[in-house]
Amino acid sequence: MAETPILEIENLSISFFVRAGEIPAVMDFSCKVMPGEAMGIVGESGCGKSTVALGIMRDMGNRGKIVGGTIKFKGRDMGEMSEAELRDLRGSQIAMIYQEPMASLNPAMKISKQLMEVPIIHDGATKEEAYQRSRDMLEAVRLPDPDRMMDSYPHQLSGGQQQRVVIAMALLSKPALLLLDEPTTALDVTVEAGIVELVKDLGKKFGTSMLFISHNLGLILETCDRITVMYSGEAVEAGQVDDVFDRMRHPYTQGLFRSIPLPGADKNSRPLIAIPGQLPLPHERPRGCNFGPRCHHFVDSVCNEREIPMHTVKGHKNHTSRCERFDELDWDALPEGVHATEPVEPGDVVLRMDSVKKYYSVAANQMFGGGETRTVKANETISFDARESETVAIVGESGCGKSTLAKMLLGLETATAGTISLGNRNIESVDIEHRDTETISAIQMVFQNPFDTLNPSQTVGSQIVRTLEMFKIGNTPGERRQTMLELLDMVKLPRAFENRMPRQLSGGQKQRIGVARCFAGRPKVVVADEPVSALDVSVQAAVTELLMDIQREAKTTMLFISHDLSVVRYIADRVVVMYLGHIVEQGSTDQIFSPPYHPYTEALLSAIPIADTSVQKKHIVLEGDIPSAMNPPSGCPFQTRCRFKDQVPNRLCETEVPPVRHMKGGHQLKCHLADSILAEMEPVISFEAKPKKAERKAPAKAKSSTAGRAKKTATKAATKGTTKRASSTSAAKAKTASAKSEAVRVGDAAVGFVDPNAGTAAKRPSKAELAKRKGAVDTTSRGKSKSKAPSGAAASKTASDGVRPKAVAKPENPDDLKKISGVGPKIEGILHDLGIYTYAQVASWKKAECDWVDDRLKFKGRIQREDWVSQAKKLAKGK
Amino acid sequence: MEPLGFFGIAGHVILLFWPVWIAMAIVLGISYMFRANLGLYGKLYGSTPGIIGFSIVLFWFMTAIFADAIAPFDEISQISGMKNKVPGTPVPEMEGAYYLFGGDNLARDVFSRMVKGSQTVFVIAPAATLFAFMVGVTLGLPAGFFTGRLDTVLSFVANLVLAFPVILLFYLLVTPEIRNTGYELLRFGDFSWQSSIPNVLAAILFLFPIVFLLVLFQSKFYTRPELRNILVGVTLVIGTWYYLGFAFNADPLGVFAMDPNKLNIFVAVVFVNSPTVFRIVRGLVMDIKTRDYVAAAQTRGEGPWYIMLWEILPNARGPLIVDFCLRIGYTTILLGTLGFFGLGLSPESADWGSTINEGRKLLSIYPHPAIPPALALMSLVLGLNLLADGLREESLKD
Repeated sequence: MAETPILEIENLSISFFVRAGEIPAVMDFSCKVMPGEAMGIVGESGCGKSTVALGIMRDMGNRGKIVGGTIKFKGRDMGEMSEAELRDLRGSQIAMIYQEPMASLNPAMKISKQLMEVPIIHDGATKEEAYQRSRDMLEAVRLPDPDRMMDSYPHQLSGGQQQRVVIAMALLSKPALLLLDEPTTALDVTVEAGIVELVKDLGKKFGTSMLFISHNLGLILETCDRITVMYSGEAVEAGQVDDVFDRMRHPYTQGLFRSIPLPGADKNSRPLIAIPGQLPLPHERPRGCNFGPRCHHFVDSVCNEREIPMHTVKGHKNHTSRCERFDELDWDALPEGVHATEPVEPGDVVLRMDSVKKYYSVAANQMFGGGETRTVKANETISFDARESETVAIVGESGCGKSTLAKMLLGLETATAGTISLGNRNIESVDIEHRDTETISAIQMVFQNPFDTLNPSQTVGSQIVRTLEMFKIGNTPGERRQTMLELLDMVKLPRAFENRMPRQLSGGQKQRIGVARCFAGRPKVVVADEPVSALDVSVQAAVTELLMDIQREAKTTMLFISHDLSVVRYIADRVVVMYLGHIVEQGSTDQIFSPPYHPYTEALLSAIPIADTSVQKKHIVLEGDIPSAMNPPSGCPFQTRCRFKDQVPNRLCETEVPPVRHMKGGHQLKCHLADSILAEMEPVISFEAKPKKAERKAPAKAKSSTAGRAKKTATKAATKGTTKRASSTSAAKAKTASAKSEAVRVGDAAVGFVDPNAGTAAKRPSKAELAKRKGAVDTTSRGKSKSKAPSGAAASKTASDGVRPKAVAKPENPDDLKKISGVGPKIEGILHDLGIYTYAQVASWKKAECDWVDDRLKFKGRIQREDWVSQAKKLAKGK
Repeated sequence: MEPLGFFGIAGHVILLFWPVWIAMAIVLGISYMFRANLGLYGKLYGSTPGIIGFSIVLFWFMTAIFADAIAPFDEISQISGMKNKVPGTPVPEMEGAYYLFGGDNLARDVFSRMVKGSQTVFVIAPAATLFAFMVGVTLGLPAGFFTGRLDTVLSFVANLVLAFPVILLFYLLVTPEIRNTGYELLRFGDFSWQSSIPNVLAAILFLFPIVFLLVLFQSKFYTRPELRNILVGVTLVIGTWYYLGFAFNADPLGVFAMDPNKLNIFVAVVFVNSPTVFRIVRGLVMDIKTRDYVAAAQTRGEGPWYIMLWEILPNARGPLIVDFCLRIGYTTILLGTLGFFGLGLSPESADWGSTINEGRKLLSIYPHPAIPPALALMSLVLGLNLLADGLREESLKD
């Protein structure tokens, strides 16, 4: 490539100098960002990814220092620039967006003033010019009502709006390089999805190069072209996103992928595999490979012989790995000790909530009383059951009332109306101080923030012993200590931890103590409030597995509160989706994750970033932010953001709260939408067949898993495939079938899905499910028929679904198809390839043709949504 | 005998302080050796301002302890011919004896008075601050934890006290005449108790530490009755004993007793300091009560007082320790100010404030009697401030 890279980092090393001496934070880090490219840096906390960003900005405080290597910006070494030159560069050429939007905005200045500063300082613009440019930029970041925004103070905006303002500010000077340090971590999922899409589009629009720092692999997949994986201060693997995601060549990267719940994971048949151990402290890094002590493939005197350089991976473009042995390793083998477990059958109903309401009244003036009181409806007619040893997930974004629900269960609040029964006792109006010990110990909680759940000034042991004392377990201090030690064993921590202070423990260890404390009184119901969301990815898996193991053994009912649908899909048996205090949808996990959806569930599903290149998602970005519970919208709580609102007649959504609708199999929805619309919904997440991957994985699978197990799982998967999806509507299925027909026709299905040992199915049962969804051939029959038959079958099927529009030869003056809104130059090119050149052709499309083209373009429903046909008709008339 | 020069004086002073040097060497040396196991106090040894501050405070503390061994003369004895003599003047008819810092206008040794003055400071300032903390903590915890009406009322009262000019308040509380207010309510033989304002305040304020400790033990150890009974019993016995002594001057054994003048000052200082402590504690509680470990304690059925005293208070200790050090400093200044105004303590008392006030009268002719107590006061407060800084810095590092 002849282009100069925007940013070129070579062998960068950054150290912090503290009283204890030099602490290397980043070592030998190299990366290159080309113009218009998005580079992702991913890693766990403490691996030095933010330090790299600060190093580029040369903003490391008085303790940090670059001790080696160079950073070149547009070919110039930044180390040789003067302070004044650097100052000039920052904010104009290189802009940075931080995690916490409120912290990046000055709370005492109006948005307009803060934005206008940028063009005035960097481009010497006049005030009027600066105002105009700022306003235009606010429009570009899709903020509603930019004039009002310009006139507001930061605290008057919501978190998502603030982050958009920060992005606008960063882009105002048209920077060549944008550094994004976890820009969406502080935001809700649906808001995050909006920001991510914005960043992606703006990157294309302005041609800005981006360095995207995140701990979330899914986000990186959605936004970046290239990725660098960091571990303990070093880049361990770098390459194209596809290469690193599908053909990783470093054990740490692989460990990361195995420990996140991808859609294929299943808590019984394919449990998560955690990376053992924990990140070494900066001054305790081992010799040689930093990942060595946690690596399955560690070989003495190879991996710890020397400092390992970045090796180039042959056959992959620009793919490097810091592993000595990546050539010798079998990248598809599963590590030992992974065991599948039998699913547990749920027992009797343990917890039942019936029309529970919780209203808070907020007085305007506390001191002297009086003033008007306002009612906050935190929970509105909540009804659901939870059975013994069942995991019920409660899903929703901040402010949806899930924490209030937990508080009511635990007795920290009492319900305003309705009943909560635990076993045969009603506990809705008994607060914690009036509950008997038995009730208290029967319902316990695992808290979200591990750094906050343990009292920092008491030893770990004494905190557990105290819990035992409160639950009247054990008669003497000695007995209780013994029970406490057994609890430590249960959560797989050494008994010596008894005398540790919480600050001596890592986040994961603290959370284990939290789990031990929670299970001390043998609870019937455990409320787990996002128990792993604050932990690092590799630790998350271990804690999740631990929680489930204990639950399985103790037959505990678990209420798993989360906003992360990937975890929920993995862990939950049933799901309750909440929005603004209402349960908008509930049902079994399969029912929630397949259509028909509640529109909010659909958006939520589409918003989760999934770190799997074979997953195709429908992009549904919700407008606006979650309304405040103080001032909820009239009618349906979701009506302000719902994309289906106009499909309900008589403005019903705005006037009436929808009734609960009982669908098949206990699936409940709170929506006004007609059955026919619900029935037409398509699945949000679908799998794209990946020939390469399938080929590569199939043989390895057969090797690694015993034949017996493979077969068993395969049969299970097959039955799952047939029974599970039977309930989903046929219309939706047909559509997906055609959507996927392309890939099937290529013939990959023959190799990928039709393995005699059903190996692929063993690895990922959902593949079988997916095959079923494709509607190509029945899974079991395919198992026998081998290569050619399915591709033929698939091809013939394709013809029946969707019709290829008639193609014409290129006319002399083809119409400018770009005039149809939604068609860009790229799509125009594809249409031309299909032989479509004139408006008249498009105008003549019927639904079948639309579907067919839609599939080719891989835009689910966009042709109909944007109504190309009628647009084309108008254009054809106007010609 | 020849008068001593500057170096002679310095040498003599350093020699006289020998018990202090030895004690400091032992304390600092041992602490330094075991600093790794001493928590926040041990970490102080890694902070330069902290260790300087601690050394200064330790110096004056040891001086107060060994005052009788250090001071060459009695603080109120007069030696004729030594009136207003300059520093280093030899005492007539006593071989090797000097007025190292000169004599004051009543011919007393300025050096000895300065050394003895440290005792008053170290008796009243830390103890009064400790009591102020007991009161402030005991009221601030429920105010911050329960909020609502209780908080409104307590905060209002605290603001009321804070809104009153401090010096004016002291003029009212510390004047000797105030002891004559109220009625004689109790009389057994030669014991009598009058409901004067300081007496009533003492009766109320001295009750707080007992209440505090009783609630502290009961809230945690009610699950283990044997242990609870011992702790509560011991608290009650010692508490009643000291309470009778301090608040009613009726200690049967005569161990706990306080001079009425000192009691006046003591009560006034506690009364003025406790609202500020109350506000600090209340704020800290409001912050800490939102933590998950507080919720965890609630969900296992702990009572509110357990949560306040065992979950919240220990975690508020950082800012409270810092404030404690600073507050001792303020109290020291306050005592000096009161002494300077001639309030409270008896006129011949050697406390630094009174000494400075006396020295002030002849400042233009003889500056030497006023300077040593002023420097002493300044260095002690400086030491306390540095110590507080060091503690703050180290506690934030955790």
